[in-house]
Amino acid sequence: MADTPVIELQGLRAGYGEVQVLWGIDLAVRSGEITALIGSNGAGKTTLMRALSGLIPIQSGSYRSDGADLSDATPAEILSHGIVHVPEGRRLFGAMSIEDNLLMGAYLRTAGRAEISRDMDRVYATFPKLLERRNQAAATLSGGEQQMCAIGRGLMSAPKLLMIDELSLGLSPLLVEQLVAALRALNAEGMSILLVEQDVTTALDLCHAAYVMDMGRIVRSGSGAELLADPIIRDAYLGVLEE
Amino acid sequence: MLAAQVLINALVLGCLYACIAIGFSLVWGVLNVINLIHGSFIVLGAYLAWGLYQSLHISPWYALGIAAPAFFVLGYVIQRLILNRVITAPVLVTLTLTFGLDLILNNAMIYYFKADYRKLTLTPPMGSVSLFDVVVPIDRLIATASALALTGILYLILRRLRVGRAIIAVRLDRDAAMLMGVNVNSIYAIAFGLGAALAGCAGVLMALIFPISPLTSTAYLGKAFVVCVLGGLGSVSGALAGGILLALIEGIGSTLIGPAHATTLSFALLIVFLIVRPQGLLGRKGFE
Repeated sequence: MADTPVIELQGLRAGYGEVQVLWGIDLAVRSGEITALIGSNGAGKTTLMRALSGLIPIQSGSYRSDGADLSDATPAEILSHGIVHVPEGRRLFGAMSIEDNLLMGAYLRTAGRAEISRDMDRVYATFPKLLERRNQAAATLSGGEQQMCAIGRGLMSAPKLLMIDELSLGLSPLLVEQLVAALRALNAEGMSILLVEQDVTTALDLCHAAYVMDMGRIVRSGSGAELLADPIIRDAYLGVLEE
Repeated sequence: MLAAQVLINALVLGCLYACIAIGFSLVWGVLNVINLIHGSFIVLGAYLAWGLYQSLHISPWYALGIAAPAFFVLGYVIQRLILNRVITAPVLVTLTLTFGLDLILNNAMIYYFKADYRKLTLTPPMGSVSLFDVVVPIDRLIATASALALTGILYLILRRLRVGRAIIAVRLDRDAAMLMGVNVNSIYAIAFGLGAALAGCAGVLMALIFPISPLTSTAYLGKAFVVCVLGGLGSVSGALAGGILLALIEGIGSTLIGPAHATTLSFALLIVFLIVRPQGLLGRKGFE
């Protein structure tokens, strides 16, 4: 079980129009694991996320999930394969209430009202702050609450893989701790997670496996512990000088 | 007495103006298309009501039930087959396209119906009632109530239905809506269809009050535009506020300086608003 990948990429290339950003990405997210993707600004992490959720086309290479080929799939098809993208900057529907945002997360689901409202209760149980403010416009939430709402909206699609772009950006350490705890709890229930994160220590500490991206390529991979101990990673991303 | 007359006329007409503008506002807000066919859709709706009444004696109240689905399909098809090809192009391109489509539709109506003014007259007439000492024709009152009901229905569609939420989501953040699995092209077509349906229904109601001619389409389009600017784009309440304000200004203007200058006054107000408060009375909203 732990060795079956939820998604598997081979030689994936993508970009914007004439500009090639990703130069052949090989990556696998194993089922039931938290996989981290780290790298500096402009390394191509967000572009990879956008390609994986179908927002930009994949030029070449393979993108598979549980045997299905997703390289030409639309965002809706990818979502219905259980792969959901919580985008950078949350991208909530600001003028809509929290509850309506969560309902938008369940947009594609054909499940009955009861099942969807049960999942909504689970989101509220994970993030009780959201329940207090369910009828408030999403734009009025604090940064941390918005991230909770964005993750909750992602969960409402009943995914097997939650892809989160920049979990901690702009949030206080205390809030990041709360969110990390929530992700651990979700993972303990079996949710696979692909996490893009600027805060390398948090990411490597949380993940089972990690990939390091630079200039549109994967330059290193390994378990979180291995990479944390890797002198080159420590030097380049953690700002720790080796004695 | 005169003040009451002006006020009641403004409320009656204002709701109809809101109904004219709301579909235009929806399309503008969601698709970012300034839909210049809107005025001709309204006139076509008026002809539909007139034709159904003349030939089959179907009352305009029932004609609403025919116009809504017919215009929805018309709008949906126009968006899917024509407008969708240039939907990502800059505003000027879509503006030019809807301008061309409007020329075609408007000239077709001039060809078939001639430019003569026609009037839908209910026989027997419905009479009038006295409200606060002001005489109001009953058909006009029912038209106003229907206009309010149509705006209310749009509000409920947007707030309560799954497809309505998706329309608002696309308006607020197209990419994020796609990540929720929303098929943006289909939502565009539905929003355009709803806009056309509202225009067609507004036309049916207008047929009860104003003479019908293809030449009136620019006047309707102008009103829709002014109401959107006055009230603020993207909300049902904004359209209502804008509609009533416009009707009030026109009413006061024609009382004080004569009906010939009412339109001048409303467009002068448009320019003032564009300079002083471009977001409109109630501001730009998601769609509430």
